[in-house]
Amino acid sequence: MKIVVAEDEFLIADLLVVSLEDAGHEVHDAAHGMDALKLIRSLEPDLVITDFMMPLMTGLELAETMKADSVLQGIPIILVSGAQGAIARSRTDLFDLVFDKPYAMDRLLTAVADLGGERGQP
Amino acid sequence: MTQTLPRFSTGIPGLDTVFGGGFVEGASYIVQGQPGAGKTILGNQIAFATAAAGKKVLYVTLLAETHDRLFQSLSTLSFFEKGRLGSNIVYVSVFQTLAKEGLGAVVDLLRKETKRQGASLIVFDGLLNARDRAETDLDVKTFVAEVQSQAAFVGCTVLFLTSAGVHDDSPEHTMVDGVLELHDELVGVRTVRRLRARKSRGSAALGGYHQYEIGDDGISVFPRIEAAFHTPSATDNPDPKPLRSGIQGFDEITGGGLPQGSITLLIGPSGCGKTSFGLNFLSASSVAEPGLHFGFYESPERLLLKANALGLDLKGNVEREEVEILWQPLTENLIDKMAYRLLDAVSARGVKRLFIDSLGGFERAAVHPPRLVEFFAALTNELRAMGVTAVGTWELRDLFASGVAAPGPEISSLLDNLIMMRQVEIRSEYKRVLSVLKIRDQSFQAAPQEVYIDGHGLAIRGQFEQATGISTGLAKPLEA
Repeated sequence: MKIVVAEDEFLIADLLVVSLEDAGHEVHDAAHGMDALKLIRSLEPDLVITDFMMPLMTGLELAETMKADSVLQGIPIILVSGAQGAIARSRTDLFDLVFDKPYAMDRLLTAVADLGGERGQP
Repeated sequence: MTQTLPRFSTGIPGLDTVFGGGFVEGASYIVQGQPGAGKTILGNQIAFATAAAGKKVLYVTLLAETHDRLFQSLSTLSFFEKGRLGSNIVYVSVFQTLAKEGLGAVVDLLRKETKRQGASLIVFDGLLNARDRAETDLDVKTFVAEVQSQAAFVGCTVLFLTSAGVHDDSPEHTMVDGVLELHDELVGVRTVRRLRARKSRGSAALGGYHQYEIGDDGISVFPRIEAAFHTPSATDNPDPKPLRSGIQGFDEITGGGLPQGSITLLIGPSGCGKTSFGLNFLSASSVAEPGLHFGFYESPERLLLKANALGLDLKGNVEREEVEILWQPLTENLIDKMAYRLLDAVSARGVKRLFIDSLGGFERAAVHPPRLVEFFAALTNELRAMGVTAVGTWELRDLFASGVAAPGPEISSLLDNLIMMRQVEIRSEYKRVLSVLKIRDQSFQAAPQEVYIDGHGLAIRGQFEQATGISTGLAKPLEA
C-alpha cells in the first residue's frame, strides 16, 4: 500500500516508516499536517496514518480537510495519539481506527494489513 | 513617572517572589541547568498554570524523548491535567523541521503556530539542540532574537529551556530579558537544589541562590528569608504591656512577664528545664492568644505526655485549638522552607505565643552557616512585626562548664531577652537555676533563681542561695 505518515516526533515517525516499509509498504512521511496534506494531494495514498498534536495543522484538522474534499474523502485514516484518543473516537466519521500511544507496533501493522485486505491491496 | 510592566504568575510557589512579582508578559527567559535539575518540570508547571489561567500555551520540543514519555513522567505530578493536552496546551516537535530545513524554518513555523493557537506562552524545550545545528553562534543569536521579537509582537512570553551552560557573554544571554539558572549539587553528603535569577530586565529580582525542591506538586522555591523579608512585611508596633509568662514566679522577677512582641533566647544544657519552660509558657495560651510549638525533637505525642507529667493540660489546649504543635524532625531540612512553614503557621492562626525548640534546628539545616545572622535577623524582625512573643531555646554543649558556648554574639544581639538555665552542684546536690540576663525595656531581678519542676509544672520560688560560681555549674556556698 501507499501510505502517508504525518508525525512531528521523529522517533515515532522513524519507527513507523521503517516498520511499514519492512512490511512491504511504500511510505512517505511529513513532519506536520500541512506538509502531509500536500503529500496526500499529490500522491493520493491508500492510507493515512496521522498523529493528533502537530504544528500548523493537527491530525483532526487534516482529517476534516480530507473528508471535505471529494477526491480525498475515501482515503482511510488511522489516528495515533498520546492523549486525544477520546476526542478522536467520538468522530467515527473521520477516523477508521484510533490507537493510543504507546501502542504495540504489531497491532498497528495487523490493522494496516486488514485495511489493505478489505481494499483488495497487498 | 516610573512604570511597572504587566506580569503573570508562574504558578510556582516562591518563583514569582524571586522575579519581583512574576514573569514580565511578552518577555523572554532562558532557563538553564544540568539534566535532572528540573527544567522540564519547571517549564511544564508554568505551562499548566498559564493554561489554568485560561490562556493558550505552545510547548515546542527539540528533544530526543517522545511526548508520550514526557506525559508519562509528568502524570505523577499534581499539576498535570491530561484534559488540557491538545486544547489549552499544544505539544509540538520541531526536530524534523530543524533537521530538514534548518533554524529559519523553525522560526517561521513558530510564528505561524503562535498566531494559529493564539498562544500567550511558548516553552521551547531544547535550545542546546538548536545550538548544535547552528553553524555559528550568530545563528543561535539570530534564532533567539527572531523568536522572541515575533512573540513579543503578539504579547507572547517565551521560555527557552537549555541544559547547556549559557555563559554571561554568550550571544543568546545578551538577547533575552531574564536568565534563570537551576543548580543541583552535592554539599557534603546531601543534594542541594538552588536556583538563581542571573538576569532580570524590567524588575528587581531577589539576587543570589534560593533553595528549591521537587515534590509531588512539582517545584517549590523558598526565597532566602533575609532577601524576601529584607524589611518586615508589616510595621513593628510594640505593645509596652508585658505578656504573662505562664511560669509561676517568673512574672514577679521580670516586671510582669515577657515584653510583648519580643524574642527570648533561653540557653542551657540538656535536662535543665528548657522544654518545660516552653510548655508552661504555651499552657497560658487561649483562643484570643494562640500558641504554637515549633519543635525539632519531641513528636507531638511525646510532648503531650511530657506536659501531662508536668500537670499541664496541653492536650486540652490543643483540642480547644489554643495551641498547635508543629513537629519538624531534625533530619534533612531546607532552612528557608522551615522558616516559611513557621511564618505561615503563625499568620494562619494569628499566633501570639511561640516556642521554638530549638533555634539550633535551623542552624543544622543551614547549608551556608555564615548567613545565619541575617537569616535570624529577618525571621525575628518578621515575628516581632506580627506581634509574636517568642521563646527560642539554644542547647549548651556541656552540662557543667565554665565557658558558655552560646550562639555567636551577632545572633545573641538580635534577641531581646536572654535567660540562662543551668544545673548546679552545691553541697553534693544538683539544683536547677534560672538567671535572667537581659529583658528588653523592663527592669528585672538579675539574681539567680532556684527552679522547681514537679507535677505542677515549672516554678520559681525565690532566689538561689548565696553562692559563687553558679554560672560554672560548680557553686560554692558563701562563707558566713
